[in-house]
Amino acid sequence: MKRIVSSLIILLLVSHFSVGHIGSPGVTLEGEAGPYTVTVVVNSPDVIPGTASVDVYLTDPTVSEVQLKPIYWFAGASGTPKADLALEVPGEAGHYKGEIWLMSPGSASIEVNVVGEKGEGSILLPVMAVSTAQKEMEASLGWTLAGLGIFLVFLMVTIISLSNSDSMVKPGDPATSKVRRKRWIGASIGLVILVLVVYGGNSWWESWGASYQRYMYKPFTATSWVTNDGTKQKLNFSIDSTRLEQLYLTRSINYLIPDHGKIMHMFLLKVGSMDVFAHLHPLRKDSALFEAVIPPLPAGDYYVYTDVTRLSGFSETIADTISIPEADPQVAMNWNDSLLIDEDDTYYITDPILKAEDRPLLPGADIVICGSPGQKTILPDSSYVTLELPESGEFKSEQLYQLTFAFEDENGAPSELEPYLGMMGHAAVFKEDGSVYIHLHPVGSYSMASQEVMEARFDGGGGRVNWDKLQKQHLFRDSVDQVIAELNSLPYAERDSLLGIGMDHSVEDPDHPDHAVVKFPYAFPEAGQYRIYVQMKRNQKILNGAFDVEVTD
Amino acid sequence: METLTINNPDLVSKSAAQTNEVATKVELPTYLYATVLASFSIMIGLVWDISWHTSIGRDGLLSAPHVAIYFGGVLAGIFSGIRVLKISFAGTPQQKEESLSFWGIFKGSLGALFCIWGAFAMLTSAPFDDWWHNTYGLDVTILSPPHTVLLLGMVTIQFGAMITVLSVKNRMKLSNQFNPAVEKRLRLFFALSSGFVLCMFFTIASEYLGRHDMHRVSFYQVSSFLFPLLLVAISISAPSKWGATLAAIVYTVFMAAMVWILPLFPAEPLLGPVLNPITNFQAFEFPLLLIFPAIAIDLITQRFSSRNPWFTSLLYAVAFLMTLMLFQYPFGDFLMSDAARNWFFGTESWYFGSSPDWQYRFAYADWMETSGLDLLQGLLIALAVGYLSSRLSIRWGKWMKSIMR
Repeated sequence: MKRIVSSLIILLLVSHFSVGHIGSPGVTLEGEAGPYTVTVVVNSPDVIPGTASVDVYLTDPTVSEVQLKPIYWFAGASGTPKADLALEVPGEAGHYKGEIWLMSPGSASIEVNVVGEKGEGSILLPVMAVSTAQKEMEASLGWTLAGLGIFLVFLMVTIISLSNSDSMVKPGDPATSKVRRKRWIGASIGLVILVLVVYGGNSWWESWGASYQRYMYKPFTATSWVTNDGTKQKLNFSIDSTRLEQLYLTRSINYLIPDHGKIMHMFLLKVGSMDVFAHLHPLRKDSALFEAVIPPLPAGDYYVYTDVTRLSGFSETIADTISIPEADPQVAMNWNDSLLIDEDDTYYITDPILKAEDRPLLPGADIVICGSPGQKTILPDSSYVTLELPESGEFKSEQLYQLTFAFEDENGAPSELEPYLGMMGHAAVFKEDGSVYIHLHPVGSYSMASQEVMEARFDGGGGRVNWDKLQKQHLFRDSVDQVIAELNSLPYAERDSLLGIGMDHSVEDPDHPDHAVVKFPYAFPEAGQYRIYVQMKRNQKILNGAFDVEVTD
Repeated sequence: METLTINNPDLVSKSAAQTNEVATKVELPTYLYATVLASFSIMIGLVWDISWHTSIGRDGLLSAPHVAIYFGGVLAGIFSGIRVLKISFAGTPQQKEESLSFWGIFKGSLGALFCIWGAFAMLTSAPFDDWWHNTYGLDVTILSPPHTVLLLGMVTIQFGAMITVLSVKNRMKLSNQFNPAVEKRLRLFFALSSGFVLCMFFTIASEYLGRHDMHRVSFYQVSSFLFPLLLVAISISAPSKWGATLAAIVYTVFMAAMVWILPLFPAEPLLGPVLNPITNFQAFEFPLLLIFPAIAIDLITQRFSSRNPWFTSLLYAVAFLMTLMLFQYPFGDFLMSDAARNWFFGTESWYFGSSPDWQYRFAYADWMETSGLDLLQGLLIALAVGYLSSRLSIRWGKWMKSIMR
């Protein structure tokens, strides 16, 4: 039964799929385009070729122009057409909007170029251009087209009937019985021909649809299972190596590259209660098999979400569900956290997800933070984190928010945070039913490894990729594994400084002088109940905090 | 209706005077001018649109070429629609006599019915295509189901224009009315309307008829199916002895003019990836040398039209294939040579998304040429296709010759 439930859940996941993350198609970015701070939201089309809508938010009043252009990884910067202008939305100062055409499937990026009095600056936002939706025709359009179609058939039958009969009758001559018979013969033949034409057209249409379906993006599926080596439980995650119909090099799992120093980021979340969370970094055993040590988690069904990025910058989420059994008493007794594969692995067991009305009002839990309502929670090390809420206490779907978390130590002073995986904070957002999952950074929801790949490639122009000259898949895989092994052998501080190169680790915010603040730009894709796990590091300990939020339409 | 006239008022009054002179039976209806103009406008729009997609890449619903196409559809649809309504409810007895009755209340000519059908098909294709793009992506292919509905609409309008000219000509012939001026104009209009249909046939099949296909047997098979189907019927039914030749001349001049004119205008690719950064509109294809097979077809019509149609079909098919092969095959070599890389032949034109350094840009690769037994076998198939196509076309031509209404 559990297996069936798991299969159903995974089916549900798959049907809600959007690339990179699950159920959350928009991509957000916050960063610096030269001298300008920008926030960008891209909604990729669900059908390629199609147009992506791009929203750019700027606070600098001196900005005069915002240009957008799509740059494909395989085509390079020199193969890119001139930029299009994003236009300022009337009545919304600093909000620019534009449409960008994404013509081919593949790994792409959108370059946002900002021009103003302070000069010019640009930033790249990776987007995965793939068709993810198979659309149905709306009934109203269907009926309109059917009506027009019937009219056309009827008129054409009339035309064929008349062509065969009256059209050859001399002006003024009456239609003889012979002519009348020819009318019917013509109409019958015409009808048969048209039925065949319509039938053929329909078959053609269906084959078109089948071909579209064949080449549309399909997420990788995976099979996961638990093994026990006597001292610990291991999670085996095997990506199903189905042949890709399209983008087989772009999406090849042999071309994985590390993101924040890890070949894969895996999130486990307990199905239903959502009260158990783990962020693990499995090791690659072979091209498709990954292995992680399972921390002492309560037995039960778990969602498994894994994020990977390729050499091409193509990042996506591969999901599965797994039933974790009760660990042997021996294993449970011998557990200590040093058994985890990676020092950056972490897990957290907390309260189940609750609706706002069911949540107990703990003293100090509902507070006002710097003028806004907030939700406060205590962390395992007795420090506090508070999530700033909108005025109404509820978030709206499809609206861009800066999810703001404020950190205080045990005494109410700003916490001193340390970078975790090269960032001052990470957040993972899950919808109650598991249909939305996203991994956020303070810089947005895109894959930073993708961005690095694109920047490196387009720096100095970058022509077309020569597919034949790509390093062989197995060689590439081996060299990546070697780099990761070397990284993992470095002392923690050294590795962290390596991973954190170029990051802005400021946690000071003029709006929040009394707190250490980490913000995540994000727009919830749909209404519902969400759980957010926020992750940070303090005193060399990874800390996790959980928040439940309501999102309405 | 006369207030909507688009031709020179002098011409109208002159033609009215002439028809009064000879008898009141034959007149050139205003909508005939409109439908021929519509056919022309559609053809310009279509070739321009193809050039737009190879030069700029992306377009909107109301891009200039689309407007030219829609204008053609609307023009033909409205003029024909009004013509039918006018004859049905306010027509003269003569107009009614010359019309077909349908659906109990309407009266109109066959040509007008074709034009109305074409306009509605074009209208239908618009929301269909829009949905298609949202569902399967913004395709840049010529042949998709909604594009086919659009193409059928366009061809039907062009065909309607041709039929309209023919019915006037056939009635003139029937009533033994001879008026050189009207006849001359009819010949011109028929050459134009049939030539535009020929342009359309070529455009629809252009994916198989390009410069790089001229040494492939599929080129001759597709040609043997399409062109005799149209040219034989035109040759048989035309108001002149040189119907197919005149249509081929119109086709040649039109397509060549598009090759010469379009590149004069600036264009810049707006879709990535841009592998060939061009700065002006890229020409469509230089016309095929259809004029030679067309002459052969006209000669056969002139000499053998009274013979058994199965025999004549064979003559048409053999003559078409041989002349086409004789002229087009070596002309393919010429088009690949440096001598053709100029404004006149326009072979420098190259899709912005294709690499300009492709080694076969001006050469035939082995796999582009059919040779030996494959060629022989393929040509025999082409001949058989051309034979059946010619036979069908003879029947079609005879029918067009007898259209009275």
